[in-house]
Amino acid sequence: MSRILTIAHAEWRLWLRSRLAFGALLITALLLTSTSVVTALRMSEAHHARIHQQAVAEATFLSQPDRHPHRMVHYGHYVFRVPPPLSVIDPGVDSVTGQSMFLEGHRQNTAMFADARASAELGGFEDLTTALAYQLFLPLLLIAIGHGLIIREREETTLVPLLAQGVTGTELYAGKGIALVGLSLALLLPLAVMCAVAVGRGAAPLASAGVIGLYALYLLVWCSLILLVSSVARSRSLALGILALVWLGTALIIPRIGVESASSLIPVPGKIETDLNMQAELRAVGDGHNASAPEFRQLQADLLAQYDVTRVEDLPVNFRGVVARAAEADLTEVMNRHAEERMALEAGQARFAASFGWLSPVLAVAAGSRALSGTDLATHHRFLREAEVVRFDFVQGLNRVHVEQLAYGDDINRNIDAEASKRTRMSAENWNVLDEFTFRPAAATERLARASTPAAMLFAWLLMLAAIGALAARRVQP
Amino acid sequence: MPVLNAKALTVERSGQQVLKDVSFSMQQGQVHALLGGNGAGKSTTLLTFLGFLTPVSGSAHVQGRAVSENVSAARQAIAYLPEAATLYGHLNAYENLRYFLSLAKTDTDRRALDAALDRVALQAEAREMRMQTYSKGMRQKVAIAMAILRETPILLLDEPTAGLDPAAIDDFNRLVRDLAEAGRTVLLVTHDVYGACHVADRIHLLHKGELVGSFDRPSGMDRIDTEAVHAAFAAHAA
Amino acid sequence: MTGSFRELRFLAKDRAALLWLGIAVLVAGLSVFLGLREVAAQRTVLNELIEVDRAERDVLRGLHQDWGDVAYYTFHLTHDSPSDFAFAALGQRDTSPWKHHIRALALEGQIYETDAENPDFALIGRFDFAFAASMLAPLLLILLLHDLRSRERAAGRYELLGATAASRGSPWFVRAVLRVGALTLCLLVPLWAAGLLVGTGAAKLALASLVVALHIGFWWGFCAFVDRFGWSSPVNLTALIGAWLALAVVVPAAIESSVETAVPVPEGGEVMLTQREAVNDAWDLPKSATMEPFVERHPEWADYTQVGQSFEWKWYYAFQQVGDQIVEPLSRAYREGRIRRDRLAGTLAWLAPPALSTRALQAIAGTSMADSLAYEQRVRDFHAALRGYYYPRLFRDEVVSDASLGQRPEFPVVGK
Repeated sequence: MSRILTIAHAEWRLWLRSRLAFGALLITALLLTSTSVVTALRMSEAHHARIHQQAVAEATFLSQPDRHPHRMVHYGHYVFRVPPPLSVIDPGVDSVTGQSMFLEGHRQNTAMFADARASAELGGFEDLTTALAYQLFLPLLLIAIGHGLIIREREETTLVPLLAQGVTGTELYAGKGIALVGLSLALLLPLAVMCAVAVGRGAAPLASAGVIGLYALYLLVWCSLILLVSSVARSRSLALGILALVWLGTALIIPRIGVESASSLIPVPGKIETDLNMQAELRAVGDGHNASAPEFRQLQADLLAQYDVTRVEDLPVNFRGVVARAAEADLTEVMNRHAEERMALEAGQARFAASFGWLSPVLAVAAGSRALSGTDLATHHRFLREAEVVRFDFVQGLNRVHVEQLAYGDDINRNIDAEASKRTRMSAENWNVLDEFTFRPAAATERLARASTPAAMLFAWLLMLAAIGALAARRVQP
Repeated sequence: MPVLNAKALTVERSGQQVLKDVSFSMQQGQVHALLGGNGAGKSTTLLTFLGFLTPVSGSAHVQGRAVSENVSAARQAIAYLPEAATLYGHLNAYENLRYFLSLAKTDTDRRALDAALDRVALQAEAREMRMQTYSKGMRQKVAIAMAILRETPILLLDEPTAGLDPAAIDDFNRLVRDLAEAGRTVLLVTHDVYGACHVADRIHLLHKGELVGSFDRPSGMDRIDTEAVHAAFAAHAA
Repeated sequence: MTGSFRELRFLAKDRAALLWLGIAVLVAGLSVFLGLREVAAQRTVLNELIEVDRAERDVLRGLHQDWGDVAYYTFHLTHDSPSDFAFAALGQRDTSPWKHHIRALALEGQIYETDAENPDFALIGRFDFAFAASMLAPLLLILLLHDLRSRERAAGRYELLGATAASRGSPWFVRAVLRVGALTLCLLVPLWAAGLLVGTGAAKLALASLVVALHIGFWWGFCAFVDRFGWSSPVNLTALIGAWLALAVVVPAAIESSVETAVPVPEGGEVMLTQREAVNDAWDLPKSATMEPFVERHPEWADYTQVGQSFEWKWYYAFQQVGDQIVEPLSRAYREGRIRRDRLAGTLAWLAPPALSTRALQAIAGTSMADSLAYEQRVRDFHAALRGYYYPRLFRDEVVSDASLGQRPEFPVVGK
């Protein structure tokens, strides 16, 4: 053991003395730190801004004057997706999906205003985040520093004197491995600090620990790969070439191929297409504003029979409200079905693309990181579903006011004069049918469960590389 | 019991026989020299004793035990000075020595290091300098110092005098004799006939992997007959 | 000449070089293939949508007897068809909308809707030719050139080769030229093939080839510069990859955040919120509060603004228009902010050649931010035309007729 540590220690000393390694290290540390700070500032600013916007939206809704309840249905409401605390590390889909959504009667809107639309186009890597720095660029540093770990000893003919001291190949391999792993762990420090900050702001400690663990596992995969290549390659240049190729493939090419194949094998119709296809079904439900539409005759007949009256004017409830409520329920059923179909397709696409993580640890760690941070597609879908619940509840709450508190006679005569119109205005106290909305990602345990497949992929990589490494270590020869 | 024993060693490297049926043995306190031209199989013999190469037939024994049985025991018993020894350029002499010695689990203090460096006559002012600034001879001196400091019963030295100036070679030869008298067994590889004759108890002449002759120092003489060795060497080289 | 021939043979025997060149062909070919498929898929979607949209309007024909209802229920598909070079650089078509379904209500409430693809995918990014040529090609070039001299130096042949060659430096130059030329061809041949296949204009292809060649030329110069220091191959490679990291990632990221700080853009949500408030408040305000600002903008309807107590469509559309008018300054600031950001980023992109190359290719392909904004402007123009069509009919209380419906403007298809 002491020999292994001696070898690791000697490697660290070399890095500190080599201007190249030291420079690369310094630049990386700087990059990680500055990216972490920038990402954290941006996301915490977004966090506060959206909490504030949500509060303003709710206050505005509640402060609306007395009105016809259906007017409030159309007045609508906004919900904002507050970024979860761990988004300071991985903002995930936050910048590419809209963060706010307008909720109104009879319609499901899409989330609006993705940041990506207002940002400058500079080639695709400009949205640098802490997560991206760790996923894509830290491995580059490890390659630059670690590719020569073992091959360097061979090329500089120090391998023979090393082994002649009685050091075994396995000890050498382990020592070099510890050196590189130690460096990786040190470089995890900014991430750990950000996780601690996130916990301080209410992130689940379990999920935060999961993030650190996931990235540690990921960097271990790279360390094992670099070590293995460094021990089997015939020259330093070859080792560097092979590792650069692996990086190119796993970081830039395979993920994109995964995306392309997923989107061509599992096509998801766009929103406009879905809307257009939905039109006929929506028409079959009928226009809830028009209580005399033929679609609602059955409803009218049932209601008259139930209350044993012959005219809608004699019903104890407001028939126009009843129609609005029934139509909303039916419409929502249709819209939800289509929305669920779309989300299922998207989730299927994402799963398919994520299965390329077996080929690319970069893809695996990215998926796991988003899942743990609560910034993945599933979380976005959760937001859409929760927003829909809010929408349906407040619309139906208002419809209930319409049904129960607004007299039918007043309602149909509301446009006769100002006085009649005033009678249909319900008290603003009724607007408290709106629930407070704070978006929270799924529980930490659920997120950990979602990250388990990516983690398993990384673990499989690590096991494979470690097993081959153990074989290669025994064959370390001058 | 011989300290080093080569029993009919036959070694192949990438399909080529580089050592054919080589046998010799060494007793404690002896100095032997392997002499021969390029590709004679001298370094191969050393690497076989260290277990870096495995014989296809025959066996190498260190302190009575076959190397293939316990490679690390063999390496523990041997201090090896590789040909054109390279140590780490980014470390100074002390750091290099400490590093390698700690890997060999040999404890050494600064005084012991200085004593060894004194014995190889490395200038005191150079010892704190990074070895990338050293000349070839200075590097060789540090490597020799390392071999001494290992305090192993056996030393295998591959071209130890390469790069040394004549005065340093004389110093080195004296050093080897001192080590032998202190009971250490030294096998060195060289193609310097004159030096070998002065330092060795016995010279093995290798040619194309075969042992083609052995020359002993006659008792009472301080060196082997240089003329005879030269003649044999030249005959094979021709 | 014989020298170049000898070096060509030398290149043909260099297995590492052939590997990198093979990867270049693979990467370029794949990117072009995927780009073609994506554009084809977008065209299919558009064609289907155009069909469905037309069918939908046929269904609506005759369903509504009131211009107010007609305008309320009729959606119009607007779209931005991909150009004949869009396959090479998908650009903004990834994140910004290239199709909108709009109606004659307040436009500000509709134009920011995104019909985005799977967000997971937008995050990873597309694998198009622009990415291959701007981001990956420099890496491949670095791998090809980093050990040109240092390898020979390490093998101790450097002085020998330098001394043998007729003039110092020339064998390196020929070697580098061959490698750079081969890489450029490996990238461009798949592009040209795809261009021929879909009939891309020769000028566009030539311009794109020039961009690629210039970009590769820049990196060649950079490799040659680093080569001068006489470092070993690994040091060369590490330094060059570091430079790639700086120019492709760090500098663009720095440009982006400084552009965002230098050019503030109003929160998009703010635009929507203000517009929404304005439209909703109108219901409770006296009708004159709507009609007065409306007439200011449209004096031609001043004589038709009498609105009674009950609901009237013309009042409804008037407050939709006024909603847009109220949010106009904010909306203009949002749009102009994006234009200014794009321009500033375009200037600063000169500091980061990979970003510059990407932007140039997107400009050629008509998929840049400017193109996206131009499409937005066309949607605005079309929306204005729709209003221009409906207003006379609403204000004069005309009867809905097939003849009149036949005059309704259609979204103009712009060829690129």
